[in-house]
Amino acid sequence: MVVYRRDTRGRSTLLVMVLIALALITIDANGNSAVARLRSAAHDVIQPIQSVVNSAFQPLRDVAGGITSYSSVKSENARLQREIANLRGQLRLDHGQGSEVTQLQKLLDLPTAEDATGIVAQVSGPGPGNFERTVTLDKGSGQGIRVGYPVVTGDGLVGTVTQVSGSQSTVTLLDSPTLGIGVRLADNGATALTAAHAGERDLTLDFLSNNQVKASKGELVLTAPVTHAAFPPGLPVGTVASYSKGTQDLQPTITISPTVDLDNLDYVKVLRYPDPTDTSTATTGG
Amino acid sequence: MVLRRIRLGLVILTLVVLQTTVFTHLRVVDAGPDLCLVGTIAMAYEEGAIPGAIFGFVSGLAIDLFLSTPFGLSALAYALTGYGVGIFQSGLIRETRGITVVLAGIGSLIGNLIFLIVGGLAGHDELFALHNIQILIVASLYDALLAIPVFPFVRWAAKADSSQAWPPR
Repeated sequence: MVVYRRDTRGRSTLLVMVLIALALITIDANGNSAVARLRSAAHDVIQPIQSVVNSAFQPLRDVAGGITSYSSVKSENARLQREIANLRGQLRLDHGQGSEVTQLQKLLDLPTAEDATGIVAQVSGPGPGNFERTVTLDKGSGQGIRVGYPVVTGDGLVGTVTQVSGSQSTVTLLDSPTLGIGVRLADNGATALTAAHAGERDLTLDFLSNNQVKASKGELVLTAPVTHAAFPPGLPVGTVASYSKGTQDLQPTITISPTVDLDNLDYVKVLRYPDPTDTSTATTGG
Repeated sequence: MVLRRIRLGLVILTLVVLQTTVFTHLRVVDAGPDLCLVGTIAMAYEEGAIPGAIFGFVSGLAIDLFLSTPFGLSALAYALTGYGVGIFQSGLIRETRGITVVLAGIGSLIGNLIFLIVGGLAGHDELFALHNIQILIVASLYDALLAIPVFPFVRWAAKADSSQAWPPR
């Protein structure tokens, strides 16, 4: 009889915890800001400890990253990589600006990536979860970063800021299945929405504006010019990796490879977009 | 009693800090370990179902603060895993060599499976992707390996005041 009572108490305790957890999941799913504030506070509290631990284990991380990479060679390499990335990005932007869509977006006076000022941040590392594609930046709301700001490198789009604390921010990468980006094919102007799949680095294009569109391998894919879009138009997103269309298919299957190496991020730029001082772009859509 | 709770709190803090710093850089085939889940399994093995479930719930909430997945999902998965392992361990022959490693591997597999299923049902369809099965298997092997240092750490924190039970009755 005693054993029975103790067992019942144990089950009741478990049931209470399950109900609390389910309630929290529901609250978070409804976008309650209290959860975001709680997460932000937790990041701020633990950040100093994380910094100390990160510094202490830096040698181990360097070994894991590559025994042959001495710090001086690494920093020189990083500098050169950034320079190459900037030049590549400039080349792509120049290419994109030649198209008719860019001409039209200028006529319509849509905000562009060049209009947005940026905050340079260092990538602290990947997110701790196994089932998400995120990275953590070493700067947060204290440096002006807000949820929804796009993140880029010289090579192109990286993702978007999804969580911010005072001194850190979390970026959801563009190859995360939770993120869809409005894009256009640079050569023919057809627009589409990117779709990522867990475990795959390449993205597919859904909801093509023109089902008869043909894309060639290597064709550049840029963010689409849309009013109140989450991303400024003309940012390089990827290049066409494959194109196929069967006779029975309603639309072609197009896969693109991101222009940015998302597994080896070092420094990134967080764009203040939409510009917080510009009231005409203050409200953003998806 | 209070000291014991402080020690267990420090264990959770240590596991969360290590998981969000060092182990994010030590991934194997896209998968990293889940230290709080290993800690939960260790607690359930040492102290039984309810202490295991409570440890799992608290450590799950702690790690949920640093994830992009729904808040409370890890807490739910870890609490159920802790309870299940606690019930299961009572029938084990504890002297069997390597039992903790096997238990950590199987417990991790079940815990992550609960995480994926509940998360998927909660509207995160991407958690149902086939690729996550590969992550799940690699992560559970990783967790099994890390049971070697984590189990003694949790045992030290949980058993130091063995004259008093936790949670209080």
